[in-house]
Amino acid sequence: MSVNNRDPLVVGGVIGDVLERFTRSIDLRVTYGQREVTNGLDIRPSQILNKPRVEIGGEDLRNFYTLVMVDPDVPSPSNPHLREYLHWLVTDIPATTGTNFGNEIVSYENPRPTSGIHRIVLVLFRQLGRQTVYEPGWRPQFNTREFAALYNLGLPAAAVYFNCQRDNGCGGRRC
Amino acid sequence: MLSSAKHKINHSAFSVSSSSSSLPHSYSQAKNMTQVTMEEVWKDINLASLHQHRQLNIDHEPVLSNQNPNNSIFKDFLKKPLNQEPQPLPPSSSSSTLHRSLPPPPPETVLSLNPHSINTHFDESARFGCFGMKRGGQESDESRGDRRHKRMIKNRESAARSRARKQAYTNELELAISHLQKENARLKRQEEQLKMAEATQHQTKRKLQRSWTTPF
Repeated sequence: MSVNNRDPLVVGGVIGDVLERFTRSIDLRVTYGQREVTNGLDIRPSQILNKPRVEIGGEDLRNFYTLVMVDPDVPSPSNPHLREYLHWLVTDIPATTGTNFGNEIVSYENPRPTSGIHRIVLVLFRQLGRQTVYEPGWRPQFNTREFAALYNLGLPAAAVYFNCQRDNGCGGRRC
Repeated sequence: MLSSAKHKINHSAFSVSSSSSSLPHSYSQAKNMTQVTMEEVWKDINLASLHQHRQLNIDHEPVLSNQNPNNSIFKDFLKKPLNQEPQPLPPSSSSSTLHRSLPPPPPETVLSLNPHSINTHFDESARFGCFGMKRGGQESDESRGDRRHKRMIKNRESAARSRARKQAYTNELELAISHLQKENARLKRQEEQLKMAEATQHQTKRKLQRSWTTPF
């Protein structure tokens, strides 16, 4: 499936703000409870308190993947000066399995947006082999592109994103 | 003094109206009346304003009451870029001197033109409010315009994000629909094939056939 300009990742600005254009090469399935995450879905913080189930496709167990979960719209989409916030980082995930089989470098922190409607992006990168990834010192101001360059991860293998705003009102406006 | 000038124009405007009844608005008549005296002043100020990228100084206040530049300059005033410092550029200073060289007549005629040129709901106090910039209320007026301007930009960006969100979700749904339709068609075909295969199997089973005979 080639990426065209109608791709939700492009229209939603994920490609551009967070990622380069890429062609999906593997299946990625993210599920919070009963809800499967599809691009642009609206999910409230109360539904994503715990880490989701992540299942990846592929065929060969010897291929390893890294999952990155970031919020590029911190602290608010109109003024994202803390872009991006790293919520979760799991490496060495074998193909055909899920994050449970990987190495959780940065533990899952549930998103709690205070202002505006945030995009939460989950990206899957293919590793060249099993590799040591050092945990970044802090969560804010993470840069997925730089991270991928640093560990030679190349272009993304798959990505999905959803929208998240705070549970009770005032998500779109200053109170 | 100002009011008397106003009344003078008033009267003259009405007198003109009686003669040329085709023109309904006294405003245009007033313009004709003062055309000879005002035109040079307006021309100079307009040219100066064009040179300055429409920097709205107090010098250009009078332009608000003029017919054509009224709309364009007022709009520019609203979307005026964040021009906070009243930097006196060389062209502006020249135009200001030009303006100040004719102190009494232009303001007078400007004020007197008010009731005619601008809509009825712009009253004198509003005009004086704008002229208040001259006196030093300049800061609040400009920063108000700035804030409005910034708010407008932010709102536009927010609206654009909202549209993008909506469009992205719609595209995703369309992709999902297309995917599901294909899968549905595939599964239906598969079902058909399986049914047919099962049907033919039944038919063959009805007839008893010798499949294997012992050699003896």
